[in-house]
Amino acid sequence: MTGAAGHTTNVVPHESAAKHVTGEAVYVDDILVSGELLVGRVVTSPHAHAKILSFDLGAARAVPGVHAVLSSRDIPGVNDMGPVVHDEVCLAADRVFCVGQAVFLIAAESAEQCRAAERLIHVVYEPLAPILTLADAIAQGTLLGPPASIVRGDAASAIRKAPHRFSGELETGAQEHWYLESQVALCVPGEGKELQVYSSSQHPSETQALVASVLGIGKHDVVVEVRRMGGAFGGKETQANHTACWTALLARASGRPVKIRLFRDDDMIMTGKRHRFLSRYEAGFDDRGMLLGLSAELHCDGGCATDLTFAILQRAMLHIDNTYFIPDITVVGKAYRTNLPSNTAFRGFGGPQGMAVVEQVIDRVARTLGLDAAEVRRRNFYGTDSRNVTHYGQTVERNHLPLLFDRLTASSGYAKRRADAGIFNASHEFVKRGIALTPVKFGISFTTSFLNQAGALVLIYKDGTILVNHGGTEMGQGLHTKMQQIAAREFGVSLDRVKVNATNTAKVPNTSATAASAGSDLNGMAVKNAADILKARIAEAIAPVLTGGNTSDPTRPEDILFEKNSIVDGRHAGRSISFADAMPVMQRLQVSLSASGFYKTPGIGWDSVKGTGKPFFYFAFGMAVTEAELDLLTGRHTILRADILYDVGESLNPQIDLGQIEGGFVQGLGWCTTEEIKWDDKGNLLTHSPDTYKIPSVQDIPREFYTALLDNVPNPGTIHSSKAVAEPPFMLALSAWLAIKDALSAASNHTKEPEFSLPATNEVILLSLEKLKAR
Amino acid sequence: MKSSFSFILDGTVVTIDAESGLPPTTTVLEYLRASAAHKGVKEGCAEGDCGACTVVLGSADASGRISYAAVDSCLVFLPMLHGKELVTVENIAPDTGLHPVQEAMVATGGSQCGFCTPGFIMSLFALSKNHDHPSREVIDDALTGNLCRCTGYQPIIAAAAASCVHGGRDHFSAGEERVAAMLRSIPQGSICLRTEHQVYHRPASLGEALSLLHQHQDAIVIGGASDIGLRVTKRHELLASIIDISGIGELKACADQGTFAEFGAGASLSAVEESARAAFPALAAMLSVFGSRQIRNVATLGGNLGTASPIGDMLPVLFAYDAVILLEGMNRRREIPVREFIVGYRKTLRRPDELITGVRIAKPGPDAAVRSYKVSKRKDLDISTVSGAFRLERDAAGRVSSIVLAYGGMAERTKRAAAAEEFLLGKPWDRSSVEGAMALMSKDFTPISDARAGAEMRSVAARNLLLKFWNDTQR
Repeated sequence: MTGAAGHTTNVVPHESAAKHVTGEAVYVDDILVSGELLVGRVVTSPHAHAKILSFDLGAARAVPGVHAVLSSRDIPGVNDMGPVVHDEVCLAADRVFCVGQAVFLIAAESAEQCRAAERLIHVVYEPLAPILTLADAIAQGTLLGPPASIVRGDAASAIRKAPHRFSGELETGAQEHWYLESQVALCVPGEGKELQVYSSSQHPSETQALVASVLGIGKHDVVVEVRRMGGAFGGKETQANHTACWTALLARASGRPVKIRLFRDDDMIMTGKRHRFLSRYEAGFDDRGMLLGLSAELHCDGGCATDLTFAILQRAMLHIDNTYFIPDITVVGKAYRTNLPSNTAFRGFGGPQGMAVVEQVIDRVARTLGLDAAEVRRRNFYGTDSRNVTHYGQTVERNHLPLLFDRLTASSGYAKRRADAGIFNASHEFVKRGIALTPVKFGISFTTSFLNQAGALVLIYKDGTILVNHGGTEMGQGLHTKMQQIAAREFGVSLDRVKVNATNTAKVPNTSATAASAGSDLNGMAVKNAADILKARIAEAIAPVLTGGNTSDPTRPEDILFEKNSIVDGRHAGRSISFADAMPVMQRLQVSLSASGFYKTPGIGWDSVKGTGKPFFYFAFGMAVTEAELDLLTGRHTILRADILYDVGESLNPQIDLGQIEGGFVQGLGWCTTEEIKWDDKGNLLTHSPDTYKIPSVQDIPREFYTALLDNVPNPGTIHSSKAVAEPPFMLALSAWLAIKDALSAASNHTKEPEFSLPATNEVILLSLEKLKAR
Repeated sequence: MKSSFSFILDGTVVTIDAESGLPPTTTVLEYLRASAAHKGVKEGCAEGDCGACTVVLGSADASGRISYAAVDSCLVFLPMLHGKELVTVENIAPDTGLHPVQEAMVATGGSQCGFCTPGFIMSLFALSKNHDHPSREVIDDALTGNLCRCTGYQPIIAAAAASCVHGGRDHFSAGEERVAAMLRSIPQGSICLRTEHQVYHRPASLGEALSLLHQHQDAIVIGGASDIGLRVTKRHELLASIIDISGIGELKACADQGTFAEFGAGASLSAVEESARAAFPALAAMLSVFGSRQIRNVATLGGNLGTASPIGDMLPVLFAYDAVILLEGMNRRREIPVREFIVGYRKTLRRPDELITGVRIAKPGPDAAVRSYKVSKRKDLDISTVSGAFRLERDAAGRVSSIVLAYGGMAERTKRAAAAEEFLLGKPWDRSSVEGAMALMSKDFTPISDARAGAEMRSVAARNLLLKFWNDTQR
């Protein structure tokens, strides 16, 4: 059961739900194209690191049905895909840096012809030594850039003086996005240099910029449209650009429409993952479990190019505190280059990797002192009046942690269930139960502050229907539904009057990625801004119309209300006109019925070099209690129950928000348990299909699963007092990870600290148990 | 022999012959996606692991009723549709409005990005036709073959519970007789499809199949094609000669003969699971975590034996039950104990002109304990890291009189833990004996490390499964 008490007014289904269930919803691969369509294929590197000595494309180009075979030499513009740092090419030139890196492109009339041509491409590589593990990268010092640090006080001294201390190391694994719809783009050439790009991209403006750049043309010749994505989760923030650019190059070269859809295995082999981290920490604490000092060094695997690695590492460093006040703290972040595909954004964006460290620390503190871990967490929470400033100097405002803790421990029956688990464990040798509570505090805003902006273009037609364009993209998170609701509420019209258009770079330019959980915050405000402009114009023009002959007591524009599909004078009952009837009047009165809206987040900014400031507009809070059962003989875990309480401010749409929370939690559960990525010693991905890479299935979710929204916590200054959802719930799954650890720890009656890493696969668990037995 | 095949789609009989230019190994998914009217079906993985391509196949039973089964369209070759009704996500809504399963999915918020949704809808449709007020276990089973990355599944489970409440009656029910009549109009004879590079036989009888196999000993025999299909969808192999035995009714029977049971090689694993439940619970238990419902609806027992995979889940269980493999060639029948049938990595004693026709299993006596266990990274729809199936018999003094410890995933083929077995024979079945046997397993196995797990984990798991078996026999 789920709960949304106090949030029930805005429940409307996802705007595409009826299309989803009938199969009518159109994804890029479903767009009907003429018989001229060519199939595009990417030929990739078989080596993790090699020089390209020579190649010959002649035979491939001669295959019947083949219209283009391209190498980096055939790129008319700039061979560069780096979104921030320019260290990533579109097609390999003289060296390859990972298995799966794009080297050549083929367009042909059929996939079979593409494969035939690929077999005829002759390349001579000279293999070079690759770096494939973080340990090797650290040993060889292959830093992508200078280390970063955030420091408050003197952590070394605080730890030294602390009554208790320990140090440790934690590995957190890579994660494959496994969006159901693999990377895909369709490019249709128009007249002259024009190119229409249908892309499954979270960042159409960047896709547009890079397509223009590789083709050497102006952005005004490239239109990128995104109707919807079949999932993205960060994996299409920068890495959708590649497929779009490859497709564009082939369309330009062949003069025909071209589509590239990566086959699942190819997508998994070619695209980047969540960054794996190796974190080393040292913590000092007192007898009550209060953290006195924390020193942490986060090492992350950036893969073969920078992509968004520095922003991701930064967010990990900004979230190493999670919800805890740590008086003296030093966190150092280092990103390394390896010969694996460039790692990229993934829900949480470094947050999960940072939080896992401090949650592991707290878990160890509790075990060391024999205290209840939830109580240790509560003691260390940020305060409301004191102990409320983060390590980077931002005050934690409107702190809902105490409220969440009190309500959730009560509703989940935490204390009793913890005692019950102990009783169960005393009478079961081969099966143990564990329970854990973990909180989340997640900063909302792009930490690159200028990106916190959004645009919208709202059009009203003469029949009173409204078309909303905004810069955000729909990947399943319900953004378009929320934008539709916001526009309908602002104009006081029913939902069926409002349609949200496919995201299109010709409608709203220069947008930021739909990312950082900020999609509805930013675009919602931009839509509202456009609506406000239009309403002011309409009110000004309609007031004399409503006044009619009553000139002695005129309707004033400021009295105009938009409600119930009508435009009314709030002071004079009876003076009203239906919204639809008013629009032809507007046209006759020569009033513009289109307006662009804009929004930039106020009052944020920070110095990433000094590591201080206010990077976040606000914090989102949530908490989870999870209970797991562990079969000590097989390493199999079962999540018996999860209880989640989450703060979304005033929910824009409770059903969508609950869906994001549950879905995020289960995705996090995958990262914490069964999703394990392995490469061989040549840099080949071993887990390159769902055969060996295991995301949660229906049977892996908590047997009992309760999710509720915290009520009566409006968030001032945001669109309709709401808060972001999207990313933060992912990290609540750390409660499942630590519940499993608690069950594992019960095997030694909690007397020994078990070896543990993330994901906690059955292999990690069984081997850890063997070591517990041997100790 | 006909050179075309026919099925029902969108309410009409579709007939496809060699003139169509379609290779016979075209998958149902490829066929549907090539049509503007069927873009609802999605490709997520092309290997039967995600279910985005799920469609439902309707078959007429003897009484003229239509039974519905969800399958992964990426793994079904088009000619295998012969004589069936193909139901896609575009077909199930009535002229106005939505099917109850679609309505429920909208109401519960069961779709987010929507890409997996058509597949879920079809699994729910099949569930709604086959179960009334299904339990959570039945719902989970029906949805295990569909992956969703957005929702966390809870709203989809809620949609199943809310919509599968009409005893399978929906607007389809009214048209059932008409569909059954159309299906009866499709001749059930044998089919041979020849294209420039391929020949595809679909014999209608066992005799015909054996004769074809005699002539084409290099032919690939397919039952459900859930394994062979991957050679086409993933490796893009051209399968030159195929004998599809999925149309042979006499291979599908599962019969309880009192002291033993026989399972037809062409029986779907779903059918085997159902008929094994009472007398062979360890077999049914293994099948419950074998693939997904979609896979079990097409995969056959004979196919799983024929591939002789070292990690094939059925083999250790059949070892434990001491099953006998039934083989038939032209004018020849053989019976080979399964423990002798598997001779190496994907190697069996089947001769090229023989078909596996079935499996005979004697019912264990009341004193025999038979159990099966599977260790995999994910509980469901995952291939075993290690699987074990064990059979224990004790004498009057409680000593081990007979023991079989059969393992998958521990060697290049299904293998018994011989040293551990020998150690246990004649010993009391107690923890100290079992721990002694566990210590000997390093002599029995030298497992490998691969994408699924390391060698050390496999060794630990293999030992632990024996302890688990012992623990389970203490109840």
